Amino acid sequence: MSKNRRGLALAATSLASVLLLAGCSPEAQRGYLPDASGVTNHTDRIIGLWTTSWIVLLAVGAVSWGLMAWALIVYRRRKGETGLPAQLRYNMPIETLFTVIPLILVLGFFAFTARDMQAIEAKTENPDVTIEVIGKQWSWDFNYVNEQVFDSGIQAQFTGAEENISETLPTLYLPVNKTVKIDLSSRDVIHSFWVIDFLYKKDMFPGMTNHMYFTPTKEGTYAGKCAELCGEYHSMMLFQVKVVSEEEYAAHLATLAAKGNVGQLSNDYDRNQNLPGSDPEVRG
Amino acid sequence: MATTLTPPLTNPSTFVPKRSKGQILVDWLTTTDHKKIGYLYLITSFMYFLIGGVMALIIRAQLTLPGLEVVASKEQYNQLFTMHGTIMLLMFATPLFAGFANVLMPVQIGAPDVAFPRLNAIAYWFFNFGSLIAVSGFFTPQGAASFGWFAYAPLSNTTFSPGIGGDLWVFGLALSGFGTILGGVNFITTIITMRAPGMTMWRMPIFTWNTLVTSILIIMCFPPLAAALFALGADRKFGAHIFDPENGGAMLWQHLFWFFGHPEVYIIALPFFGIVSEIFPVFSRKPIFGYKTLVYATIAIAALSMTVWAHHMYVTGQVLLPFFAFTTMLIAVPTGVKIFNWIGTLWKGSVTFETPMLWSLGFLVSFVFGGLTGVILASPALDFHLSDSYFVVAHFHYVVFGTVVFAMFAGFYFWWPKFTGKMLNERLGKIHFWVLFVGFHTTFLIQHWLGVIGMPRRYATYLPEDGFTEMNILSTVGAVILALSMIPFLWNVWITSRKGVKTDLKDPWGYGRSLEWATESPFPRHNFHSIPRIRSESPAFDLNHPEFASPEAKESYAKEGRI
Repeated sequence: MSKNRRGLALAATSLASVLLLAGCSPEAQRGYLPDASGVTNHTDRIIGLWTTSWIVLLAVGAVSWGLMAWALIVYRRRKGETGLPAQLRYNMPIETLFTVIPLILVLGFFAFTARDMQAIEAKTENPDVTIEVIGKQWSWDFNYVNEQVFDSGIQAQFTGAEENISETLPTLYLPVNKTVKIDLSSRDVIHSFWVIDFLYKKDMFPGMTNHMYFTPTKEGTYAGKCAELCGEYHSMMLFQVKVVSEEEYAAHLATLAAKGNVGQLSNDYDRNQNLPGSDPEVRG
Repeated sequence: MATTLTPPLTNPSTFVPKRSKGQILVDWLTTTDHKKIGYLYLITSFMYFLIGGVMALIIRAQLTLPGLEVVASKEQYNQLFTMHGTIMLLMFATPLFAGFANVLMPVQIGAPDVAFPRLNAIAYWFFNFGSLIAVSGFFTPQGAASFGWFAYAPLSNTTFSPGIGGDLWVFGLALSGFGTILGGVNFITTIITMRAPGMTMWRMPIFTWNTLVTSILIIMCFPPLAAALFALGADRKFGAHIFDPENGGAMLWQHLFWFFGHPEVYIIALPFFGIVSEIFPVFSRKPIFGYKTLVYATIAIAALSMTVWAHHMYVTGQVLLPFFAFTTMLIAVPTGVKIFNWIGTLWKGSVTFETPMLWSLGFLVSFVFGGLTGVILASPALDFHLSDSYFVVAHFHYVVFGTVVFAMFAGFYFWWPKFTGKMLNERLGKIHFWVLFVGFHTTFLIQHWLGVIGMPRRYATYLPEDGFTEMNILSTVGAVILALSMIPFLWNVWITSRKGVKTDLKDPWGYGRSLEWATESPFPRHNFHSIPRIRSESPAFDLNHPEFASPEAKESYAKEGRI
C-alpha cells in the first residue's frame, strides 16, 4: 500500500464526512432530539452538549469501524496464500497511545458534563412559581402553591380507537419566563416526571421530596409521561404541560378556584401505610 | 516427544459400552464431569434464550401499533418484560458463562476437572431449580412477577404486587444466585490451584483470565443480591419493613440492587469478550495483540464496574452525580483498549472469515456502537432526558445482545468440533449470521431514535399522536427477521448431529492456540492423554507451528533440535 493511496483514501473520507454534515436536515442538526430549542432555559445547553458529544463519538466510531474495515480488506488471506504473518505480540507505544487518547477525551467530556449538569441542577432561591406535583397510580395531582389551588388528574382513557387523547389529559399550567420550582413526591410507588421537550425528568419518591428548577421560555403544549415503571397502567400515566402567558395562567387558576379546587392536596393517604404491620397502634 | 506422556494405544473414549436410555439419563442427572455439567448449562441457558426470545416477540407484537391488545392485559405485558429481562440476564447470559467456563476453562489450563466437581453439580441444580421456581409464576393464578427485573421497592412489596408470582421470583432468584456464587468459587479455586505445569498466570488464555475476573466479580456482587432478595422476601412474607419508603427503603433497594446489577452487566460481558479474544487470533493467524494490556484492561473494567452502580440512579436526585459520572466515563478507557487490541490482532494478519470469525466481527462492529451510546448515557446532563427511555433499551441491547449472543454463536461454531467431534455446517452458519445481523440492527438501531423523541421503556402502549408508530413497526419487522435466524441454526445443529462429518483432527481450524486444540475432538473423559509443553499463552499453536512459535517455546524446541 503506497503512501499516496492512503493519503487519497483519507482525503476522500474527510470530504465525504464534510458533505454529509453540510447536507444535514434540521432534525439531524439537533441530533434527532425533539424540537426543544428555547423551551426552557436549560434545553439549548443540553442540545449543545448532545450534538457536540455525538460528533466526537461518531468520529471515534468512524476511526474504529474504519480501522476494522481496513484490516479486514487489506489483510484478508488471499487465495493460494501460504505461510503465516509476522507474529507481532505487542507494541508499547501504540498501546500507550490508545490508552492515553481516550483518557484525554473522557476528561474533556467529563469537564463539559460537570459544567452543564451543575447549571441544570442549580437551585433557584425564591422562585416566582412553586408547584407541587404528586404522583399516584396512575396519574398526577398538581398543587399551585402560591395561589393555594389544585388540580387532580385521572389516568388516560385510551383503549385504542380514540384520537386526540392528549386534549383530555391532566394538564399543568406554567407561566412563561417565570422561574419555576417543582416539588416532586409520590403517594404510592416511585414515578418519574418527564416532560419530553424539557429534555429532563426526575423521579418522584414516596416518603421524600425531589425538586426541579427551570424557567419555561416558550409558550406551547408539551407532552409529559411517567418514566418509571409504576404498575399495570404505567403507560396510561400521561399528562401535559401548557406554558402560557401570565394572564392565561391567572385565568386558569381562577377557573380551578371557581370549581372549588381551593387548598392543597397532600400525601396523608400514602398507600404505603397499607402494608401489613404498618398499623400505628402496632408500630407506635 | 520426550516431554509428553506416552499416549495409550487407543482412545478410551471410543470404548463407551452401549447403554440404555435410562442409564444415559441417570448419568446426565448425576454427573460431576465438568464438561457434562457445562453442556447442561449450555443447553438449559439456550432453552431460556429461546423462551425469553418468544416473550420478546410478544412484546414487539404488542408495540407494533398504538392501542393494540395482543396480550390480555397490561399486567400481562408487565409480566412479559419482567420475565424477559430476568430470563435473559439470570437464566440465559449468566449460566451461559458458567457453561462455557465449565467446558473450556479446565481444558485451557490443562486440568482434568474443576476443583470441586460435586459443588459444581449442586451449583448447576441450584440454578436450574431456582430458575424453574422463578418462571413457575406463570402457572399461578395472578401470573409471574410484574415489577420489572429490578424489582424497585415499594412497587415490589405486597401492597402493590400481591401475587405469589412475586414471591416465586424473589426466592427462585435467591436460590439460583447461590448456584452462581458456588460456581464462581469453584472457577477461582480451579484456576488458582489446578493449572498444569508450565501454565503460569501470564500464560493463561484470555478466556481463562476473563473467567477468573468474572468469578471474582460474582463473589463480590452476588452476595449483596442474595441478601437484598432475602430482605425483600422477608418484607413480602413476614412484614419486615426493610424496604419501607419512610425509612429510605426505596433508595436502599436501588443501591443494593445496582451494586449487584451493574457488575452483573460485566459478568455477562467479560467472558464473552474472552471468547472473541480466543477467536480473533486463530483466524488472523497471529497471537492476540497486547496480551498483558488486554488482561489489565479486563481487571480495570472489573474494578471500575464496582464503582459505577449509581449511574442507573441519576434521576433519583439522591446520588453524587460527579463521582458516578466520572467513574462511568473512565470505563470507556479500558473498553477502548480492548477494542483496539482486537483490531491490532487483525492488523497485518492473514484474515479468513469462517463462521466463528464472522460472529466475532459481528460482535465487534455492534459493540462499538453500544460503547458510544454508553458514553452518552454516562453524562447526567444527557441521561436526565434519556433515562428510562427506549434509548436505554437500545443501548443495553447493543452491549448485551451484541456481546452475549454474537459471542455465544461465535463460541458454538468455534468449539462445536471440540464438544461433539463434528463441525457445524459453514454455509448454514453464514446464512444464520447474516439474517441475525440484519434482524438485530433493524430491531434495535431505530430504538435509539424512539427513545430520543420520548418513548419511555416498559410502556404497554402509546398514543397515535406520539409519532412512535413507524419506528415501532420497523423494530417489530426486525424482531421477526431476528427470530427467523434461529431456523438455520437449529437446522444446522440437527443436520450436523445426523449427517455431519466426524473430524478426528485435534485442531480442525488449523491455527488453534490454547490447550483445548492439543487434545482429541471430542474431549476425552479426563481431557488429555498427553499435555504439550506450555511455554506461552499459545501451547497448541507452538506445538503445531514450531517455526512461528513464541520466543520461549522456540528456545525450548531449539534445545531439543526440533527446529
